[in-house]
Amino acid sequence: MMLKTLAALLFAMAAAQTGSLLLDPATIAKPPVDSWPTYHGDYSGRRYSTLKQITTGNVKSLTLAWVYRLNTQRAAAIVGGEGADTAPPTAPPVVKSTPLMINGVLYFSAPDHVWAIDARTGRENWHFVWKTRGGDHIGNRGVGIYGNWLYFLTPDNYFVSLDARTGKERWHHEIASMKREYFSSNAPIIVGRNVIVGVGGDALDIPGYLESRDPENGEVVWRWNTTPRPGDPGATSWPDEYAMSSGGGMPWLPGTYDPDLNLYYIGTGNPQPVLTGQSRPGDNLYTCSIVALHPDTGKMAWYYQVTPHDTHDWDAAQTPVLIDGVINGQPRKLVAQASRNGYFILLDRTSGAHVLTSKMIESANWTKEINATGQPIGNRSKDASVPGTLVSPDTNGATNWPPPSFNPDTGLFYVGTQQAYSIMYLTDTDPRPQGWAAAERSVGRVASALKAIDYQTGKVRWSHPLALTAAGSAGGPMGLLSTAGGLLFGNDGGSHFVAYDAATGKALWHAGLGTNTTNGPQTFLLDGRQYVVVGAGDALYAFALQQ
Amino acid sequence: MIRLVTTIVGGAALVIAANVSAQQPASEFDPAAVERGQQLLSTQCGFCHGANARGGSSGPDLTRSALVQTDEGGRQLGQFLRVGRPDRGMPAFDFTDAQMADLAVFLHSAIRANANRKAYRILDVLVGDGKAGEAYFNGEGRCATCHSPQRDLRGIGAKYDPPTLQNRMILPRGAVTAPNTQPEPAHLDHNAIKATVTVAGGESITGAIVRLTDFDVALYDAASGQTRTWLRNGDSPKVVVSDPLQAHVDHLAKWTDADMHNVTAYLAGLK
Repeated sequence: MMLKTLAALLFAMAAAQTGSLLLDPATIAKPPVDSWPTYHGDYSGRRYSTLKQITTGNVKSLTLAWVYRLNTQRAAAIVGGEGADTAPPTAPPVVKSTPLMINGVLYFSAPDHVWAIDARTGRENWHFVWKTRGGDHIGNRGVGIYGNWLYFLTPDNYFVSLDARTGKERWHHEIASMKREYFSSNAPIIVGRNVIVGVGGDALDIPGYLESRDPENGEVVWRWNTTPRPGDPGATSWPDEYAMSSGGGMPWLPGTYDPDLNLYYIGTGNPQPVLTGQSRPGDNLYTCSIVALHPDTGKMAWYYQVTPHDTHDWDAAQTPVLIDGVINGQPRKLVAQASRNGYFILLDRTSGAHVLTSKMIESANWTKEINATGQPIGNRSKDASVPGTLVSPDTNGATNWPPPSFNPDTGLFYVGTQQAYSIMYLTDTDPRPQGWAAAERSVGRVASALKAIDYQTGKVRWSHPLALTAAGSAGGPMGLLSTAGGLLFGNDGGSHFVAYDAATGKALWHAGLGTNTTNGPQTFLLDGRQYVVVGAGDALYAFALQQ
Repeated sequence: MIRLVTTIVGGAALVIAANVSAQQPASEFDPAAVERGQQLLSTQCGFCHGANARGGSSGPDLTRSALVQTDEGGRQLGQFLRVGRPDRGMPAFDFTDAQMADLAVFLHSAIRANANRKAYRILDVLVGDGKAGEAYFNGEGRCATCHSPQRDLRGIGAKYDPPTLQNRMILPRGAVTAPNTQPEPAHLDHNAIKATVTVAGGESITGAIVRLTDFDVALYDAASGQTRTWLRNGDSPKVVVSDPLQAHVDHLAKWTDADMHNVTAYLAGLK
């Protein structure tokens, strides 16, 4: 608490020096409805808005306010970066980031790009391009803002700060080595004076870590290694230093934060090598875990491992959603995760104590048992084998990175799910396999559904099947937003943006965007008008009620 | 970890290309230099670091080493080797520049091969008992209800490589296409999921599903070669889905891996 007070004081001093600031980080804990100041809108990860101008009753009148198609041209952009002047060929950028909205401006990103867009008109204020040296350009989750400073990560592992007012670069720091196949896609989360960033990459056996960086100079404040080192608690869950110090566990998605407990919650990635455990017998802490950290020191308060000894690429990086709920008549501070391994996990977020585990998809066939602490324990016969092992879910998981939503009005946790099978072949039979060590061959996706889970029981209250094609079910994991207007915004797997009735799952409104939504929708009030903003492919769409 | 495939990957369509590129050393490395580097490693370094550089009796894994992974063409590695780390039992090595370059090429190619999972080579799939597979085919698996080794499966073992055969046995969705070509659209596959749309007035159209959502339905009409689309409003028009592979889909949860390997071995023998 002393640190938080100090942070507030320092921030006030900075504000006095520079005049008015775009965002006081203290407001992220209780953001006003005319803003969306952090990746999840607030710290809870619920992606629930108290706005109710748009309701189940009037959503039929929702109409397009504007479209912004991603401008990637360098000509008129502000350019930074360490790479070559000519851009290497990369896939066309897709909006996977959730835009922040502050003072009528939306800030969002794609790999190597950041844009500031006028939230009223969808016109571009500025565009920043990063000259890349390479790295996996699979996605970028978004930007973080502290005062007037904006932060983002690049595929070639730079932590970059811009002046949010102008788009001009302040500085950049390399946070990981591209040569070791690290790449960075996370959205920085600001807690007090900590800008929290995590690295990604799983092509080679490399260690995962989460860092707090200083908002003014970008230097490391603390680093938390996602796997222990010899002698640390948790080290006995690995056979040796060789395995644990290259054991992966990438914290590649943004976490959540409880200001009262002053704990930051993060889901960690899968262990390395990815698809076989022959060189790493043991639980492999703290991979595939929900972890609570003290945000001012990076010290761990507690952990809960969602998949001990994972061998299927099912990281537990999905959003740890904070729920203030009631269990057996008692008010509880809870954290829930719809996990990639096919299970819904509910914990007490004060202590990490297990509350309940339930199966989200029927097809999951890899589990031997749910143990006394609610952990699904793998059946080792479902590990990749030389002649092939038929496994569900596939490595994409029952769900994936797109953010789920929890609505306190309905008590329902919403998540997009898929049921796919793969055959997994062990290809590296060395006692010390490396990388993925196995090949995956997709069999197909046999079902996909938007599900509403009662957090108190873990039971699915309603399940809405998604689109179908000639080859099987389409869609599944999707970004979601629920509102006090009784609505749940998501997609249908069939290229429609949909407003569902949050209580029943009935589709009430839709817009054909030509491609599925690709980020978490967000909402805000501006000039008295509620906007819903969503990304689909290479465009950002804003909707509001017909005036 | 991160990859989320957003397209539907049905059956084996996208799988062939990966197999063909298996074991091809990445073109960025000169094969002769890789070979020389491997020789050098195995004679000079293998005793401690293992013949495959993944660590040995006393030396650490070189392919996981941060020093090696971040080395640029042998430069940093060379600087290190000329001094060694005597305090930890690692002697200095007096390699020529050419030897140093070869060693670096081998190590970097090994690291690339570890990282490039699309080029991993599937090993021996045919480990099952063909006789047991035949019994399963005709008995518990009920495969013989629809299939026959004399008719539709005649010569099937010669048609596909074993992993593709196994994959298509589980769910034969998607046409097999040549390497590095786009798979043909799923609605052209004869095993496509189909729907019958019955419009007001009674006309019924059956075709492969291009798209079926709450709001629209699009079918491929094989007769005309065109796609027909209807907007949906609740139950109008009426849409009935049929999957020619429903028995395969229903069987997904019933397969044991041993049964799968046995039936694959049986089918592979049908040449």
